[in-house]
Amino acid sequence: MRTMNFEKQIFVSGLNLILLTGTAVFAGDLASDRRDSYLARAGEVVEWRASRADLSNPEAGGLADIAAKLVLNQDLDWCSSKVIELMQEPSGDMFWMFPCVSVAYLGRDKLSSEAQGAIRNAWRVYMPNRGDTENHWAMYYSSLYLMAQLWPDQSGETWYTGKSSTENMAEAREYLLSWIDLTTTRGQGEYDCTHYIGEYTIPMLFLATWADDPAIRLRGRMMLDYIFADLAIDTLDGIYVGAHARTDDRGVLEKWHHLSSFFSWLLFNNCPAPGFSWGTYFSLVAQHYNLPEVIFRIATDRDGPYLSHELKRTRNRWRNSDLRNPPVYKTTYMTDDYAVGSDQGGLLQPLQHHSWDLTWAVDDPRGVHNTIFSIHPHYSSEEMQMYFTEMPDWMPDAVVFQGKASYNKEYKFLGGSKYEQVFQDLDTIIALYNIPPGTNFEHINGFFSKDLSRLEEDHSGWIFVQGGEAYIGYYPLAPYEWREVIQLDRQLNENVTKDRRLYSPHLKNGTIIQAASSDEFPSWEAFKDTIRALPLEVEREPTPRVRFTTLRGRNLEFAFNQAPRVNGRPVNYATEWKLFDSPYLQSEPWSRRLTMTHGKLKRILDFNTVTITDSASDE
Amino acid sequence: MHRSLLCVRILAAGSALQAFAFSGHAQSSPDPKYDFYVCASMTKDFTIGKRTTRLSGLFRIEDRTTPRHIGFNHPKQDAVAVDPSDPKVIFTAGLNGVLRSLDGGESWRIMTSWDMTEPKDIVIDPNAPDHIIVGLPDGIGVSRDRGVSWDRMDSGIPRKYTQSIVVDRTEAGRMVAGTEKGIYLSEDGAKHWTLVQPADATVTNVSQSPHDPGVYMATTQENGVLMSTDGARSWHQLDGLTSAHTIHNGDFDTTDPDRLAVCGWTIGVQVSEDGGKTWTARNDGLPTANVWRVAIDPDISGRLYCSPHQEAVYVSDDFGLTWRHGFFEGAVVWDFAFIARP
Repeated sequence: MRTMNFEKQIFVSGLNLILLTGTAVFAGDLASDRRDSYLARAGEVVEWRASRADLSNPEAGGLADIAAKLVLNQDLDWCSSKVIELMQEPSGDMFWMFPCVSVAYLGRDKLSSEAQGAIRNAWRVYMPNRGDTENHWAMYYSSLYLMAQLWPDQSGETWYTGKSSTENMAEAREYLLSWIDLTTTRGQGEYDCTHYIGEYTIPMLFLATWADDPAIRLRGRMMLDYIFADLAIDTLDGIYVGAHARTDDRGVLEKWHHLSSFFSWLLFNNCPAPGFSWGTYFSLVAQHYNLPEVIFRIATDRDGPYLSHELKRTRNRWRNSDLRNPPVYKTTYMTDDYAVGSDQGGLLQPLQHHSWDLTWAVDDPRGVHNTIFSIHPHYSSEEMQMYFTEMPDWMPDAVVFQGKASYNKEYKFLGGSKYEQVFQDLDTIIALYNIPPGTNFEHINGFFSKDLSRLEEDHSGWIFVQGGEAYIGYYPLAPYEWREVIQLDRQLNENVTKDRRLYSPHLKNGTIIQAASSDEFPSWEAFKDTIRALPLEVEREPTPRVRFTTLRGRNLEFAFNQAPRVNGRPVNYATEWKLFDSPYLQSEPWSRRLTMTHGKLKRILDFNTVTITDSASDE
Repeated sequence: MHRSLLCVRILAAGSALQAFAFSGHAQSSPDPKYDFYVCASMTKDFTIGKRTTRLSGLFRIEDRTTPRHIGFNHPKQDAVAVDPSDPKVIFTAGLNGVLRSLDGGESWRIMTSWDMTEPKDIVIDPNAPDHIIVGLPDGIGVSRDRGVSWDRMDSGIPRKYTQSIVVDRTEAGRMVAGTEKGIYLSEDGAKHWTLVQPADATVTNVSQSPHDPGVYMATTQENGVLMSTDGARSWHQLDGLTSAHTIHNGDFDTTDPDRLAVCGWTIGVQVSEDGGKTWTARNDGLPTANVWRVAIDPDISGRLYCSPHQEAVYVSDDFGLTWRHGFFEGAVVWDFAFIARP
């Protein structure tokens, strides 16, 4: 595998040592070195944050700055006075709550009594919005739990909820246990999120750090293992690949540019950090989490290509669905050179869903658009009503106004569509589009990166491209033209990138992707000849249908609204997909158990018994 | 839900009703008999997690002119209900659940737990004021102890999204729910529900006539305005109103049984002065025809309030012929409620 180091040489030295000797004696040294480098990186983040606060500027300074300074025992008088000031006008809902928790706990012995009193009073007079989705509730209830613990035995009059400390803590605990149970039985709702991963891991770390109840502390640690194992299995050199419940306009193209890559940097040290900002809160108390060696190895040390299946679920559906949380079936095929990942398509999440892509490995991901995929750019009040409880007519405009600016743009590359269905077999993707007339919008967009080293439109209908060491065949089912790729910046200006957009204005449509590593072929021409020779039948009417024999020799049949077939056998997602199913992660639906394996390392998270079991076999 | 109904019943029992001699013309009452509550969001700058600079939530407008904010600055309060026997007991339904105040809004408690999110409507059973009913995104919740404990009572409703609830003020145990897929009727205190009128999409509001308890009006997302004259058992769609856009709510005029008003997206405010047979647009002077809420003042004949999208609340004293800027700026009103003063 590609060896990358964006921090300490000592890490690579340790890795080389164990590869050479293969003995357990050195594994301990490696773990120790890894721990040291992890803490050093976390410390770098805290130092950075603390140094940002300009004490001479009365307008500057926020809760993150205060928390960082409290960790470092810096400027404690300023911290106290700033806390008092900030608590006079609390705002930000659950995004205010957990920073508040960090300051309150880190400042227990460092903030003045007046400052601590100001925090206490804010939790009486300010009612944070509880929000409407699981990341909101994770932040809200973990924060309420810890603050109720900090100020026990106090009456309802002292809390914005009107409930006593005991009642607040009980409600928060009940929610957190419910969410953990739902996640470990039916899968995470906001799964594989490139940014919102932080909205789960930071609260879980806070619980692991500050909860008095050892069972809650342990559950916090176990959920961190659970989420980071989920990250590890789907990362290519630290980049979160494939389908995401939620991602964003920039990161869906520049795959590295996510908070998830911050966690890869912090935990796996296999990519640069895309920025420290949100990661500050994790770094404050990073010493209270110890990444298990087995997860580290899964992320950084793979023994050849592997296939990973995951079972997730949608977030709550309120309307336009007979099921509250329908299942999401994820597939990822990982190699050293590229990864192909997908879910089954459809309206699986609102607004920020990303259903599939191919990501190729790059030495340095900064600024690189190392991905290729297609989407049906779609927006509708039907989607909004499915996932939100608001009135329909204003909703699309409202979400645009509230920060999801690309939602109603025809050029977007973000979001799901009920008119897209996806099937993946190993490193082959078939995405079909069956778009009714009058739909927003009546075309599909294919993303072709500025960073492709080759792009050839072949007479066969295939478009052959190369990204890194990945050879890729892209077969559009319908005619197309090339258009500009437009991205919105923070000021909502439309900027044209150097990428290309495959614009195909046909309602019956689709995309086939076949990937391979360059070292599988003696030449680029040999790859193209091989792909051209693969049996392929395409029908677009009355509904899109593809029959394709893949590079791996498997006969695929996929038609819109029909179960895909592999070598004549229909794929049954409901019976074949586990919560985790790969050489490294195993978890049966409803089991509440996750088994993580790498070589002789094994860790079992058992949420039935709230236990962690580690073992190392003698292979 | 018509929020003055509970109070009309109480007034009818005493001499207070005679104090109002509504002439059919705009006429300010020197001594209003109703308190005016508004649930409003100052939406122009609102995003979850973002700093809020203006007060949203519940307002009381005793003089019909000057809103006074009550309770927490909460960005989304969808509905308010006040105990007709004790006006200090206030319930709201909103993003954080059901909130209750027992002291006229001085202090509050979130009465629901984590498992009830974003209630859309709340009513107090006039036949049993300790009974509180909420419409939820995932069903119907009923409390029989003023919100202390809750039961889910939505048997018979397969698609459970419930936007609106009305309790029949004349017959205990009868209630009507506006849901994603139609109008449901329960005649056994919410134990069982029966579909009485299917709908293609959300039924946005249901209200009971203050004049004839057998008359109900429902507004919908895709089926225009529906009317029932047999106690919500059967419904028919009214002519003259669009089904192309959402109609958000309707209101009966307490002073005139022939007068109705509805509002919605692209239609602004529409009024009827013949019991719903014909409708007239009354939008001259409104900044937009996208209107979230309309209400008819039970104290002041001919007085309308409406909430154009992200604008002020507009007021008309001639049943919509002309409008003037009322109160708020950049607001969306989710509920107007008139509560009788004891």
